[in-house]
Amino acid sequence: MNRLELTRSPLIKSALKNRYPQLVVFVLMLAGFLFAIVAGFIGTPVGSHNFSIVFVWIAWWAVLILVAVPFFGRGWCAVCPIPVVGDWLQRGAVLEPNPNKPNWLNLRVPATFRNMWMQNISFTLVALFSSVILTTPVVTSVVLAAMLFLAIGLSMVFERRAFCRYLCPVSGFIGLYAQTAPIELRIKDKKVCVKCIGKPCYNGSELGAGCPWDVFPGGLTKNTYCGLCMECIRTCPHDNIAVNLRPFSADLAKPSTKLDEAFKAFIMLGAALIYAYVLMGSNGAVKLAAYNVFSPAWFGYAVAFLTVIFGVLPGLFWLAVKFTPINHGVTKNTEKSILNLRELRVSVVKKFSIAATAIIPLGLMFWVAFSLSFVLTNAAYILAALSDPLGLGWNLFGTAAIAWQPVLSSLVAPAQTLALLGGLVWAARTAQKSAVEARISSVPVIVYCLVATLLMLWLLL
Amino acid sequence: MNKKRIYWFLIALAALVVAFAPFPATGTPHPALRTFRIEASQYAYDPGEISVNPGDTVTIELVATDVVHGLYVDGYGISVTADPGQTAALTFIADKPGSFRLRCNVTCGAMHPFMIGKLNVGLNSWLYRSIGLAFIGVLSSFVFIRTTKVQR
Amino acid sequence: MKRSELLTRIIIMVFSLGVVALPLALWAQTPLIHASMAESGGWSPDVIRAKVGEPLHLKFTSDDVMHGFAVGQMDLTPVDIEPGKVSETTLTFDKPGIYTFFCTRWCGLNHWRMRGTIEVTGETDSSAPASPPLYVTLGLNLDAPHPADVVPVAKPSALHGQELAARIPDLPIYQSTDYYRTHSPSQVFQDLSTSGLTDSQRWDVVAAIWQSNTTSEGLVEGKKLFAQNCAACHGETGGGNGVFADDLSAAGEASAQTMSGAQDMIMQTPANFSDPKRMLGASPALLQGKILRGGMGTGMPMWGSIFTDGQIWNVITYLYSFQFDYSK
Repeated sequence: MNRLELTRSPLIKSALKNRYPQLVVFVLMLAGFLFAIVAGFIGTPVGSHNFSIVFVWIAWWAVLILVAVPFFGRGWCAVCPIPVVGDWLQRGAVLEPNPNKPNWLNLRVPATFRNMWMQNISFTLVALFSSVILTTPVVTSVVLAAMLFLAIGLSMVFERRAFCRYLCPVSGFIGLYAQTAPIELRIKDKKVCVKCIGKPCYNGSELGAGCPWDVFPGGLTKNTYCGLCMECIRTCPHDNIAVNLRPFSADLAKPSTKLDEAFKAFIMLGAALIYAYVLMGSNGAVKLAAYNVFSPAWFGYAVAFLTVIFGVLPGLFWLAVKFTPINHGVTKNTEKSILNLRELRVSVVKKFSIAATAIIPLGLMFWVAFSLSFVLTNAAYILAALSDPLGLGWNLFGTAAIAWQPVLSSLVAPAQTLALLGGLVWAARTAQKSAVEARISSVPVIVYCLVATLLMLWLLL
Repeated sequence: MNKKRIYWFLIALAALVVAFAPFPATGTPHPALRTFRIEASQYAYDPGEISVNPGDTVTIELVATDVVHGLYVDGYGISVTADPGQTAALTFIADKPGSFRLRCNVTCGAMHPFMIGKLNVGLNSWLYRSIGLAFIGVLSSFVFIRTTKVQR
Repeated sequence: MKRSELLTRIIIMVFSLGVVALPLALWAQTPLIHASMAESGGWSPDVIRAKVGEPLHLKFTSDDVMHGFAVGQMDLTPVDIEPGKVSETTLTFDKPGIYTFFCTRWCGLNHWRMRGTIEVTGETDSSAPASPPLYVTLGLNLDAPHPADVVPVAKPSALHGQELAARIPDLPIYQSTDYYRTHSPSQVFQDLSTSGLTDSQRWDVVAAIWQSNTTSEGLVEGKKLFAQNCAACHGETGGGNGVFADDLSAAGEASAQTMSGAQDMIMQTPANFSDPKRMLGASPALLQGKILRGGMGTGMPMWGSIFTDGQIWNVITYLYSFQFDYSK
């Protein structure tokens, strides 16, 4: 295992183990988050000049999809301010948990909801209204406030971070794509965990809360559901938790067989394709249809959106997987009979989910490419909004009058090509590995990825 | 191992050729004067896409049909603004080949940042190069699966 | 509770309340005049109060698209109001009264409905009462059709008219302003029936008379005002086919077909100033009335509170240039 343990550095270790560095970031993030909500309500209704839109959908989004997710996985979740208020209520304290305080109802989330489907639905809902959310400060504020209050409400009813884990529309895809990131939190030695009494990393202790993400760190094999909140580093009595630097896409070598995660991958892929067409294209009727929510045209757009995301994209993939010849190429004749028996046990659903692993790096790079086209174009708004966040005529840093002008526009197309081609090769390599697990040929999956990439190239370039 | 290195070399070479080799000149037509009337409304240009030949002198007559709109040509860094009832013209020499976005640069309502059109100067060669590179990328993954052992 | 816990809680509360309270307080202290499209409310507020002689400082912002601010009948450079940005101006009023402020950048079909008032109070200096406009004195019916009986075959040339006048000394090409304003070109054409000229020569003389009541500065100003205020409906070349013409007729049809038609302003196709039958039958006084009052059962706005007399006469001057060839 080629891993570099970052927590071996005393500086990193103490920075993660100590509550204050993270707390400082939390407080700043919470302040920024609250300010964004206020700005959306009282600031100018013009999105491109309101702090809420500019900082959430240009600055934050750029950092998230271009830096945080590809390089730090759930790094954003580690500093996201949405769960902190609920956490404090549950723990009865801002610092170490207060064992004398009740943690409210503390119910277990029903098993039906302990998967990614709610996040798939919440993301799809946000995506259907995205043209309005993305452009209207008040709506963005309502969405932000709703997320904050939902997180607080759920943390009073259910145990741990139920909102983050099962409902947050952003958390789902961050988790999915975090599998590709070169950062992971893992245990150092499994034997230590087996012998550990009380499992304070999961159950909590006076040093910190039990895993807010409802994950037993000892069993961690992939990044999807680990929020990098660092509580287990604080609670582990055996110093058995490590944060490692690792190769990209390490988790994809162990494909998930879960259908909810597979669908998350298709939802993200489809949303990137549709946005590239609707927002970056020159078809004004589609833009109006996407913007005028609840109009007849919007319902048409919504039906088309849902059909592509839940029907066309996974459907074609399903067909490709179902009618793919079983891959004999990697099996030797002597092993064949044994493998044939195992092949029978790999159902089509499983094959589908396993093969869909290739869609994860593809989708991530689609989003990188798509985001490049509007983040760099609209980056000039960030400076202007910094000086006049509410559109009240302030000029805090002397940058309020900066005129809109695309930044580095000649670099956008080459960067997008690089991202998409990198994603394609990455997806092809992933497909070749997961095809072995799914016992299918990787060719149809690679062809699928190639066609999707060509479509995206055509839409963006 | 040696064989793998040769494949690497060949694929890298092919990618470089596809990415940077000049397109064969197929008898470029004489530069002409070309005028387009583009109607701008919330949130689209009509026509949404215009194509010219490299070297053409292009005039875009911008007609705003509802509110004040602008037209900014990506890559060229030039723009024009039109009020309804006051057609504005932008003239430039299309000396940079490629495909460029036209973007509204006067805030014209909620979807303003996504009011986009397209200017094609000659072939959209970058798209074709990218498509070629995509095929080389897929090809390379097939080549290397035969030369490297997939981790089981 | 540990001291560190208490301290942390205080810091968090101060921070969180601060980022909410401080912007709210600053926002409440910044009175802005919001401009938005007429469909979404127009000006807010749309009534401003001021006192004679006291500078009135105004700050504007636009909530949607590009707007502009100007006060009717006042000599002042319009202020552009950009979305999400703040622009300012300072006005001082010499006379009390109710002034109309209006949007100067076309912001949709209902742009011209974007108007508000400034109520200026103070010492009334007894200035001369305004005289009624010419169309009232003349008793003209602005709503009646006014077709010219005859129209020229080709566009009349003022140059030819002047050449004729140079050869034939009696031709009355220099008429008083009153004569010009109260007569339509076709009336003048009829008046010239005894001159012994051919029809086309008579029209050329009419053109020369109209030109003699036109200054080049006036034409320039009229052209500018027309482009900014009229062309969006009446067309940049006066053909009645501006960018809003289709929307207007669609709105007109819709309002005629529904019960709410009475509430909706009945919109119709804008007047075509390149139509000789319409234009040559209209006197400057009639056109002035139409511009001043608007209406006529169409969506034509009322410009009386916006334009000065001089501006209206210049626009009229420019309107006739669609009929006459003024080239020298």
